[in-house]
Amino acid sequence: MAPVSVGSTTAPRRAVSAAAAYGVLAVVAVLFLVPFGWLFLASLNAEAGLTTEPPAEFTLRNFAEVLNPDNLRAFGNSFVLSGGAALLTLLVATPAAYPLSRYNLRFGRPVLYALLFSTGLPITAIMVPVYGMFVQLELVDSVPATTLFLTATGLPFAIWMMKNFMDGVPVSLEEAAWVDGASAWKALVRVVLPLMLPGVTVVFVFTFMTTWGNFFVPFVLLLAPEKQPAAVTIYQFFGQQGEVAYGLLAAYSILYTAPVVALYALVQRTLGGAFAMQGAVKG
Amino acid sequence: MRRFIGLAMAAGLAVTMAGCGGGSESGSNELKIVYQKFGTYIHLDVMLRRLKPVFEQQNPGVKLKLIPVTANDADYFSKVNLMRRSASSAPDVVYEDTYVINSDVKAGYLRPLDEYLNTWPDWGQFPDSVKQGVKALDGKIYGVPMGTDTRGLWYNKTILKKAGVTLPWRPKTWDDVLATARQIKARVPDATPFNMYSGKPAGEASSMQGYEMLLYGTDHELYNSQSAKWVAPSKGMTDSFRFIKTVFSEGLAPKPAVALDKNLNTIVTTQLFPKNKLGIALDGSWLSSTWQKAGEAPWPEWQDTIDVAPMPTQNGQAPGKTSMSGGWTLAIGAKSKNPGAAWKFVALALNRENSLNYATTAGQIAVRDDVGKDPAYLNANPTNKFWTDLVSATHYRPAYAEYPEISNQIQKEMESVMTGQESPEEATKRLTESIQKIVGAEKVEAAG
Amino acid sequence: MAASASAASPRPAARPARGRRGSALGWAIPMAPAAGLLALFFVGPILWCFWAAFTNLALTGASASDPEMVGLANFREMFADGDFYSAAMLTVAFVAGSAIIGQNCLGLILAMLMRSRKAVVRTVVGGIVVSAWVVPEIVAGFMWYAFLADEGTLNSALTAVGLPANEWLYELPLLSVIIANVWRGTAFSMLVYSAALSEVPDDLHEAAAVDGASAVQRLRHITLPLIKRAAMTNLMTITLQTLSVFTLIFVMTGGGPGIKSQTLPLYMYQEAFKFSQLGYGTAVAIVMLTIGAVFSAIYLRLLRNEV
Repeated sequence: MAPVSVGSTTAPRRAVSAAAAYGVLAVVAVLFLVPFGWLFLASLNAEAGLTTEPPAEFTLRNFAEVLNPDNLRAFGNSFVLSGGAALLTLLVATPAAYPLSRYNLRFGRPVLYALLFSTGLPITAIMVPVYGMFVQLELVDSVPATTLFLTATGLPFAIWMMKNFMDGVPVSLEEAAWVDGASAWKALVRVVLPLMLPGVTVVFVFTFMTTWGNFFVPFVLLLAPEKQPAAVTIYQFFGQQGEVAYGLLAAYSILYTAPVVALYALVQRTLGGAFAMQGAVKG
Repeated sequence: MRRFIGLAMAAGLAVTMAGCGGGSESGSNELKIVYQKFGTYIHLDVMLRRLKPVFEQQNPGVKLKLIPVTANDADYFSKVNLMRRSASSAPDVVYEDTYVINSDVKAGYLRPLDEYLNTWPDWGQFPDSVKQGVKALDGKIYGVPMGTDTRGLWYNKTILKKAGVTLPWRPKTWDDVLATARQIKARVPDATPFNMYSGKPAGEASSMQGYEMLLYGTDHELYNSQSAKWVAPSKGMTDSFRFIKTVFSEGLAPKPAVALDKNLNTIVTTQLFPKNKLGIALDGSWLSSTWQKAGEAPWPEWQDTIDVAPMPTQNGQAPGKTSMSGGWTLAIGAKSKNPGAAWKFVALALNRENSLNYATTAGQIAVRDDVGKDPAYLNANPTNKFWTDLVSATHYRPAYAEYPEISNQIQKEMESVMTGQESPEEATKRLTESIQKIVGAEKVEAAG
Repeated sequence: MAASASAASPRPAARPARGRRGSALGWAIPMAPAAGLLALFFVGPILWCFWAAFTNLALTGASASDPEMVGLANFREMFADGDFYSAAMLTVAFVAGSAIIGQNCLGLILAMLMRSRKAVVRTVVGGIVVSAWVVPEIVAGFMWYAFLADEGTLNSALTAVGLPANEWLYELPLLSVIIANVWRGTAFSMLVYSAALSEVPDDLHEAAAVDGASAVQRLRHITLPLIKRAAMTNLMTITLQTLSVFTLIFVMTGGGPGIKSQTLPLYMYQEAFKFSQLGYGTAVAIVMLTIGAVFSAIYLRLLRNEV
């Protein structure tokens, strides 16, 4: 590759297209931000309703009220459930995806497709037999068992995504590692995984996210109120006749959203590193 | 073969986890109390937590396990029903809506309470109309009522005064209501004269606060308990649809885009009423709780502006006013291993003192006569006496498994009438056909 | 340069690794934990659903304790119900509009635009888009309701600049919920495409640019073939996820006015939980599953035939 020959002709055009790209990104960002207007204004309004209007007086009372020990515990529970499920999913899905990606398995794909389509079954329908099973196994109200079930529901998607990202890593790189005497497992961990780190991240974030927002599974499988995650306790702001404490709900939602956005930002920085490493491997 | 290895591994995991599951094994000395704790509705939770040590001291050896369920009604029912499907997780005492009692009895979830009630002196404090609401088709009682709600007209005094209406306003017939609404429309053009829930987005509020508040003020009801048949078609049905047509076609109600708004109840309590943009609302007794200091939209001075009136019957037929009621009970699970202790708990939780406490804190309309007369209850909210007096004229929805589906059809026909797609007569005809389809033609009778 | 050359050749999907085929243990052991978890927690419940769809099972009432087999009655009833057809059509339109067209295209565009931009821009723009994804669904519903309602933000803004206000949720309920769902779900497509694009080597693009290929040509001949698999993963995932969107629509329109935004999940919720006909509801769920499978089959076919 000879960058010298590229420079003079394409540079101005590149600058223009970069400017255009930044312009479009800015517009999209603004459009995505606008609906948040209500959320932010309501969170600072002690008497919030469903109209987007600046509060008569700005107050942090909603946040102060929402940040009570019960809610903090609920957020903690969410971290345990979502983090646990996301990590377990990676641990289980990665080895499972490997044979699917690297071998010609006769039954592998049909089974996977069937499971994948089954995730289209609304969770509400599945919970009836699942609850019965949890009662049989005496697992109701157990956080580890609920985490494991959440892992299982996320697995078909995770394996499927993982397999496709793994397909993107050329076999030739692994073969080089084998020649050097590495086992398949070592090749997977040392060569394949680093190369598909962006994909692995997507799987992790996706699993974490869907678990973080999952209401019905923990709602049904956990009994004790002190074990419930934030997705369940959010209903504390709703009333029986449809009345809603919008201000508190908005403040709670902002706190609920923040950790995952932080996770994303963190991943972005880590990925920056991944890109560099990838470059190094390819160089 | 390998599948089995996997299975065995997973099963092993499951067994290991069962150890740390905890709490799922329960002796008969433990009573499981399952109830709703939803949003602002924390009062039952507060009360039960307070009663737990009291009860455990009175009944040595029996432990209470409180299981609050944070969810809306539909999700609450789903979870409780799931728990009841398995003997080991079935609750001993459950917070039960009167209106699902019949279907839960059919499902074998509930235990009749007659043997206990016969010797319970307090039972005499419950009026017959209330006892009817907890009696199942087999004639047995399955729950002890905790409180109820009623429905009627809320109105904005400022707007009615501006429109030249004499206060306090007491309409005697539907026509009085319409006349006042027309007067508001003419003289206070920037206000919506009248609101009633109608159509599918508002759901059960449309059927109960809207359509049935009309229908049960005519000469016909939705269900004839003597003949055990649904009543359709009836003149009352068509007249009720005609009222809806009048209100919407004359522009006395919010425009369709607002009337069919999913969040109409929020618009009414936080925007229309406090901002003097609504004259009259056909709504529930709980409306003012939103405006209390601890409510969702505090408006402590609401009493200066807002007053209440009973919903009149169609032509002023006796008793001149009408209302609809729902209400919740404490019931005992059919699979309870210790029903005697469970009953003791119900009797404690709903004695005079605790019922009074619950009615005042939870903003419930009292069902016990002694509580209804208590000054502490009557002074808790200035409208309490008004709403409690309506209990004498109130009606309950037909508590049958088919009702939700029929209610859905009512909402659908209301919506067709309010948007002008159907005449009142057509709506009655279509509703009759739907009811016949849902319950079977032999269980439907025509009237008027 | 060798690695770059191998990356440039279209990578075959599942190429068997030579000499490592016959060993059954080679695939059985790594797959065992996943197979075990799925067998324990997933397969049984799914089979149960297929059984329940042919019964009159309910969560309460007489058939709660004693459900009966009713054969195809649930399906017959469903196919005789006009509301069901409406719900099925609306669901297909909702999936096509919000997932396949909206989220998928917008996600790809965002990923391409953000590629090789400054890290801070990627984090900020990406963070905003991801926030929309993370907000609890019920709150996202309220946010969009507040935005589109009769006296909502959008109408206030329109009247402020002299444009006519519109009754969005009443006149255009389906479009309203589609836009809200695009807003909510685009982040996932963006993440998937960003990950896929990061595997497309930069130098390949530059080489093509030197050869005089236009941006469109580069997209068509270099980028798209290389992200084919990612596109499939993405389409399949978002289709299945969008099929079951419930809360967002429920909060914004409740399925109304009438049944103009009542998709299959709302229809199923009404039947299974409001009317407590679990058997019938499960039959609806199986139809949803079938729709998902049809979409997926189309993706598999399309992507196999390409290139």
